Amino acid sequence: MTAVPITTVTTIVEAIEDAGPDVKLFSLVDPDRWELPPFRAGAHIDLRLPGGMVRTYSLCNDPADDKCYRVAVKREPAGRGGSAKLHDQVRVGDMIGVSLPRGGLILDAAISRFIFVAGGIGITPFLSAAALLLRTGRPDFALHLLVRGEPPLPRLVAPFVQSGHVILHDTTTAGRPDLAALIGLPAPKTAIGCCGPAGMIDDFERASRDWPGERVHVERFVPPALPADPNSRPYTLALARSQIETRVEPGQTMLAALLDLGIDIPASCCGGICGACKVDWLEGSPVHRDRVLSPAERARSLMVCVAGSAGVRLVLDL
Amino acid sequence: MLDTIQTSSRGAVVPGWTGVVRHLHVTPRAFLPMREMPEIKLVEGKGIEGDRYMIGREQGFYSHKPEEGRQVTLFEFETLVALKRDASIELGPEEHRRNVTVEGVPLTHLVGRRFWLGETLLEATRLSIPCRHIEEITGKSIFDPLINRSGLNCKILKGGIVRSGDAVRNFQ
Repeated sequence: MTAVPITTVTTIVEAIEDAGPDVKLFSLVDPDRWELPPFRAGAHIDLRLPGGMVRTYSLCNDPADDKCYRVAVKREPAGRGGSAKLHDQVRVGDMIGVSLPRGGLILDAAISRFIFVAGGIGITPFLSAAALLLRTGRPDFALHLLVRGEPPLPRLVAPFVQSGHVILHDTTTAGRPDLAALIGLPAPKTAIGCCGPAGMIDDFERASRDWPGERVHVERFVPPALPADPNSRPYTLALARSQIETRVEPGQTMLAALLDLGIDIPASCCGGICGACKVDWLEGSPVHRDRVLSPAERARSLMVCVAGSAGVRLVLDL
Repeated sequence: MLDTIQTSSRGAVVPGWTGVVRHLHVTPRAFLPMREMPEIKLVEGKGIEGDRYMIGREQGFYSHKPEEGRQVTLFEFETLVALKRDASIELGPEEHRRNVTVEGVPLTHLVGRRFWLGETLLEATRLSIPCRHIEEITGKSIFDPLINRSGLNCKILKGGIVRSGDAVRNFQ
């Protein structure tokens, strides 16, 4: 029996390659080389690094490559330490827990032409898309790569440069190109995308203002905060017997907040129907969203996997 | 299928049925895709060789909560048909994350009963409950549609090899 719930996909570092200036390419596989959960082109995964650090990276391989997650990591000396940890401490053979892949590019079959703009290491999601587009017989795409000097991932980028799909723009010699000129005016059956640093994304969003929103894909290095439910408010969760308090953020479940505190809650379905995570409450105004408790039971209990709080403070009998 | 009315050894009248194994799936760890197998090996009192819930292996999403009846799990093929027909949800037999997809077997009637799955003998312990986790894995909104038809948890009383196409029969 495992002591704690398994919350990540277990992977092992199969290979680490030097991949351009300050860039390393990590190949993550299942310990038995089993298929990994599928992903869309350019989807991202969270890597659980030593010391509890969590960092998000785009997958840069073809989604058809179902036994490997490949992420390119640029060392950011001024960053928060995730890239340095990956560069300096992670070795081939290490185990890394990763999240299920999220997001990615929707390469709609109704779209026949794609124009991508990437800044440096921001090329990674588009390399994944480029591999998929070529494999599926959709070669009409252009990937403008803005770099300062040598491009990242030269081994992966070179074939696309040779085929004319990747157009390099070295901003140390020619300055930053006009993004509006690169993407042009809105055209039928054409979609555009951009991934890069914040300033470049801002420019791209200005340049693409006239494009229909569903045909514009923007990928930021630092993801914006998830839109919270407008009616959701943070509240204080107090545990009477343990004498502990914590703050439950909008969008966070009470269950997640309790697990973060190390409280062992026997949750199961996480959808409010199985009844496993029933807890008594003492003070406050719980919002019940379960489908198992009767009105009489709700007067004293709640299901922490789905319940919320209408007030600023809720006290549990834990 | 439900085809006859039979009298059990205890004298109670129960509907007779015979079913068939349509698909077999295992996966070695939580979150990984289920892989279709032509046959699987059930080990008495333990689980399925190579599967995440085999006792002694335990690498499933619920492995921190041991349960005797999680040795092998079954799912009705008819539910996949109903999801498509009634809710336009395409769910493949590799997506519901139970091990054995059967057709013609009234799973909801079998809790507490014994039945043959090919040459193996199972005892049903409880109905499975859907889990939000499956929506995360499949990306499909199937939690609500699977309530009350999410399969059956069983323990293995007699082990053996189960193959796709094997018969499923009531234990008399």
